[in-house]
Amino acid sequence: MRYLALSALLGWFACLPAAAAEVESSGFGAVVIPQPTKPGNASACVEPVDIMRRDHMKFLLHQRDATVLEGERDSKYSLVGCMDCHNATEPTETVVRYPDPQHFCAGCHLYASVKIDCFECHADRSLKQLQQGRLDLPLENLPLEDQPGSALLSLQTFHQQLGTSGGE
Amino acid sequence: MASELDNIELRPARRRFMQGAAALATTLIAPGVLLYKTGHAQGENEANAGNKDRPAIPRWGLLIDTNALSEADVDACVSACQREHGWSSDAGSPTDAQWIRKVHLTDKQSGQQTVLPMMCQHCADPPCVDVCPTGASFKRADGIVLVNKHTCIGCRYCMMACPYKARSFIHEVLQDQLAVAPRGKGTVESCTLCVHRIDRDGANAVPACAEAVNRGERKAILFGDLNDPDSEISQRLQSHRTTRLRADLGVDPGVSYQGL
Repeated sequence: MRYLALSALLGWFACLPAAAAEVESSGFGAVVIPQPTKPGNASACVEPVDIMRRDHMKFLLHQRDATVLEGERDSKYSLVGCMDCHNATEPTETVVRYPDPQHFCAGCHLYASVKIDCFECHADRSLKQLQQGRLDLPLENLPLEDQPGSALLSLQTFHQQLGTSGGE
Repeated sequence: MASELDNIELRPARRRFMQGAAALATTLIAPGVLLYKTGHAQGENEANAGNKDRPAIPRWGLLIDTNALSEADVDACVSACQREHGWSSDAGSPTDAQWIRKVHLTDKQSGQQTVLPMMCQHCADPPCVDVCPTGASFKRADGIVLVNKHTCIGCRYCMMACPYKARSFIHEVLQDQLAVAPRGKGTVESCTLCVHRIDRDGANAVPACAEAVNRGERKAILFGDLNDPDSEISQRLQSHRTTRLRADLGVDPGVSYQGL
């Protein structure tokens, strides 16, 4: 078991620059090596890649307590920030949900048998554009939710928009 | 030995006498002023103690003017909160999320109706915090009462303890939650006083419900620092007659109502 883990780990680090997921044949059977893709829209992560690989969970854990308990919201280690780069789907693309191995987080987590529940509460993709559009609506003439031509987007409409643009 | 026993027996009687005499004297000198004065003096002492050593810590609160709120306005508060935080009560079920809700008060004699928005009252001595077995229900240093969903186990004890029924439980699996309000199945939630806006804007913050109903100078829902005697909310609390709901419970709510 220890050899399997060791070879898997070595294999993972050796193969990271490769493009797609591949099946490595070893004496222990087929091992699928996760190949997380870099986001195209960002030049660098908040820390060097090797640090992020080892310590991203520590950053997130520290950040979550600082935010919830002390209200510190301008740190660079935010889960929303992760998703804004690593799962920012264009409206035309298919949404990748967390349990899907293609999800940036899920690939390695599945491989390493890590079970997290971040995405029980947090969105597993960037909703920046949709949310901004929602909040930018004029707040004048409230309440208009039930009236025709409503300026206040009802939640039903919001979810419909998410559905159509996100391709759920 | 005998004299000691005598003293012990006499002391309570003497204390009762002295208390009675003091109360009688105060009532004679200034009837009706006693409660206000002692409360006021205590508040001043606390504020001064804060100023001496460190910058004063705010205590955020709301003043809700029910005279300025129509039923449509209260609906607007609820909608604005839903839009801000991404919760809904579409199903109309008793287990729906309720960060803020509409409450009707009817005077039984006159039949006069008042409608008011009801949400977490952000108590200074919150019962929900007392009963939480994991410390997930907590009060921030600035007086905002929140649920830390990272440690909430969903026991719902806080829902039972809250005298305002301000909290609700999430029964369904959710996805695509808004960035400002992460929420998920198996945790309890309630009004956060729009804490993300307060962290961003401080004393100039305007909660979503207030933003929905405040027009021009008339602020039907006034947000501010209760610890700052010069803040608009403190000034209005001093000059107007306001009510804190179920003040008899002694939980010291941060939300006050005007016109009840």
